[in-house]
Amino acid sequence: MSNRITTGGQKLFMTFDITPTSHSLAEYKARGGYSALRKALTEMKPEQVTKEVLASGLLGHGGAAFLAGRKWGVVKLNDGQPHYLCMNADEGEPGTFKDRWFLENTPHLLLESMLIGSYALQGRHSFIYIRGEFDLAYRRMADALEEAYAAGLFGENILGTDFACDLVIYRGAGSYVCGEASAMLTSLEGKKGYPRNRPPRLTVAGLYQKPTVVNNVETLANVPYIVTHGAEGFRKVGTAESPGTQVISVSGHINTPGVYELEYGYPFADFLANECGGMLNGSELKCVVPGGISTKVLTKDDIMPLRMDHHSFVAAGSQLGSQGMIVVAEGTCMVRLLQVMLRFYHHESCGQCTPCREGMGWLERISNRLVAGQGRPEDIDRLYQISRANDGTTICGLGDAAGYATVGILDKYRNEFDYFIEHKKSMFGGRLEVAGIGDNARLVDAAVA
Amino acid sequence: MIEFFIDGVPCTAETGQTVIQAALSAGVRIPSFCWHPNLSVPGNCRICMVEVEAEGGAWFDIACNMPVTKGMRVLTDSGKVRELRKDTMQFITLNHPVDCGICNKSGECLLQDHHYAYNGQPSLSRDSKTHATKFYPLSDRIMLDNERCIMCSRCVRFTDEVSKSRALGVINRGDHSLIRPNEEVDFNDDPYSDNIIDICPVGALLSRQLLDHARVWYLKATPSVCPGCERGCSINIWHRKSEWKLNALDPQLNTSIDRVTPLENPAVNGPWTCNKARDLSRIFERPRALQSKVKSAPADLAAAINAATALIDASSRAVALVSSWGSNEELAAFHSTLGGSFTSFVKADHVPVPGERIEDDVLIKADKNPNRFAALAMFSALPDDAASAFPADTDLVLVWGEGAPWSAIPSSARVILLTSYDQPENVRADVLIPISVQTERNGHYTNFQGTITAFEQCFPKHAPIADAASLFEVLYSSTSRVAGTK
Repeated sequence: MSNRITTGGQKLFMTFDITPTSHSLAEYKARGGYSALRKALTEMKPEQVTKEVLASGLLGHGGAAFLAGRKWGVVKLNDGQPHYLCMNADEGEPGTFKDRWFLENTPHLLLESMLIGSYALQGRHSFIYIRGEFDLAYRRMADALEEAYAAGLFGENILGTDFACDLVIYRGAGSYVCGEASAMLTSLEGKKGYPRNRPPRLTVAGLYQKPTVVNNVETLANVPYIVTHGAEGFRKVGTAESPGTQVISVSGHINTPGVYELEYGYPFADFLANECGGMLNGSELKCVVPGGISTKVLTKDDIMPLRMDHHSFVAAGSQLGSQGMIVVAEGTCMVRLLQVMLRFYHHESCGQCTPCREGMGWLERISNRLVAGQGRPEDIDRLYQISRANDGTTICGLGDAAGYATVGILDKYRNEFDYFIEHKKSMFGGRLEVAGIGDNARLVDAAVA
Repeated sequence: MIEFFIDGVPCTAETGQTVIQAALSAGVRIPSFCWHPNLSVPGNCRICMVEVEAEGGAWFDIACNMPVTKGMRVLTDSGKVRELRKDTMQFITLNHPVDCGICNKSGECLLQDHHYAYNGQPSLSRDSKTHATKFYPLSDRIMLDNERCIMCSRCVRFTDEVSKSRALGVINRGDHSLIRPNEEVDFNDDPYSDNIIDICPVGALLSRQLLDHARVWYLKATPSVCPGCERGCSINIWHRKSEWKLNALDPQLNTSIDRVTPLENPAVNGPWTCNKARDLSRIFERPRALQSKVKSAPADLAAAINAATALIDASSRAVALVSSWGSNEELAAFHSTLGGSFTSFVKADHVPVPGERIEDDVLIKADKNPNRFAALAMFSALPDDAASAFPADTDLVLVWGEGAPWSAIPSSARVILLTSYDQPENVRADVLIPISVQTERNGHYTNFQGTITAFEQCFPKHAPIADAASLFEVLYSSTSRVAGTK
């Protein structure tokens, strides 16, 4: 994968050409790597690092956009118990593949971030929980860690200071729900990856019941920049409410799907025209799933005037979420799109708590029946009811997310569902592909005919 | 003490209490499936959702995991809470077969109770239910019906936290989740396994003893004490109600133990008991000695008592082996009547049988007799060298209960045997007087902690057999040798 030249404003990460060796320690150091770590260890106290991260306004990039520095600030330093920092690299949200870019191309940036984070939180042992399906990403991270250990960047007396840190890279076993922070820690402890009830918060009792901070890959990747340039320097990038940049993975009916770094506040229309290369085959934009399928869908009218920052997307009734955008063209059947989403949620529900365990299967069975042309008018009410009954009633957010996805599509495209139920067929031939593109689409066309 | 409000009523909670605990102390039962007062909080069933009124707007969370805070205003029955419970009940019954008509749990099922209390409507689903294993054998004692299971995880937590066998776990995900045994642990080796049947809120875990054997509404629970070890767990002995007497089937079924469940007693056994208690029928329903005998020849009870009186009168050195299964009342009766005429020793009626767990730090104690504590307060223990208890001139031995050291009893001595069971050693008795078992009388036991617990009569006595206490009175009043005149 190489970086395409884009117009999305200032870059923090995609500042170098990707070559077969650009992920190595030597080249990372040549780009100024590990200088932030030296600055943090030699010029800053742990609480100063946290203060700087808080002042920078860095928002979490995992989906909830929580102030990273505030999460760090909850951990009490010198309280006599171990603290853990865990990097959430279990990127599994459908449509999202931006963390993979970091893991494969800048492993040392992540290791440096882990070291600075561990220093700020006084963590002696830190963890990277990496998605099991990520093969190259895992190998790149493991190789980088080996290089870093050989260079004395982990272990005792890092960079000649008395700071010590060890890092474990742990591979997940393919569960979506383990991307939820508490489930990740439960899995890391060797148990079935069930999310935990709050209270207690993970920053109070997380991994092995000790204060733990779980941060997304991209969130942590910002830390060296903040340490080097200071909170003020970081705030010069992006908007006032959403400082910095976002690395967006975009897929769907566009000409150039991929991973792009954009300054917060970049207009969506420009993003679609420039980075995305416009709509596939000149098709018309229908809607966008903005931040992984767990965020509410935005129609063309909703999204075209938006600038890409948290504030604008929340005001439009959705979220930037985990920054995995799926662009959907006109002619796509939203009933089938919902069915595909619900199949995913059903498959990935961990089965711990009742509303999600039973509700996800129920949602999928209804959507299957709808797509089979056996829908009934009351099914729509049922979809709403199940979504509502999952809103805020489950241990983790999976149930809520499935509800948002369902309600988002139902609210905006109710007419397609009514049409499907009344005519026992899709308004758009059940297509998920742009008409006339690829073998699959021809098969679909044939099936519909 | 924290002051807060449940449904507008001021209440107090202790520091660290959750809303569900504090509400229970205040007499408000918030519904729950997964929450159990003696297990950890998994918060997975979501039926205990309550509303908390706050200035920034009401919020909802599960009462089992919500610490009480000062001034908190909890609503357990608001409109929104009722709606949430209804939704949750819809989810819980979505893939549950609702086969109450053929379910052993029917009549004492939390799901039935909660359905009538909080749902009361048929399933809204028009799709087929998921299917799973019926009658999965978890152990030789327990069947698992995965379709009825609502994944509350009480059984898993019990084996993790109480019995510590770690024998159960969950496999698969979502609505395919299944309770399954640990492949590396034999659940048959968990002596507390049957507790999971009691704590299962639905009919998923089935006792193979009771399966298709009785409907619970035909049964009566009589409070009792397990005599299986010196712990003396409080138990309920379940047997057929007299008004539902079976006439067509074996009449024995009317006076047999259908099941045993623990009776919560925080001072002794908490809410648990071990599998030995569940198998009390194996102790009490052994072949009974029901015929009194003199010199192995059948005689009526009065004749046997007369023969025993004559033996006591004629003896010059009498030794008694006191039962450690006698109740406090019986032991006291013996002590105040015949006690003066006999040199008395307390024997262990039962010793551990091969394969039985001897002792652990949960409930099971090494002494397999219920009342040695009380007996030893009155009499000395039978010495390890049992023969030393019998002087050479011993001419009478009174054996009360089982477990007598028959080989140590001098062959010259005459034997009066008071027993409940028909055993080969009984031929050694010159006089055999059958006595009642625990389920046929009232009484008390004193356990190893000194805690006194009562047991009640479950079944009428088989006539003509004696109760040990009254037998001692009769023997005492008819014998010419009374204490002090020896």
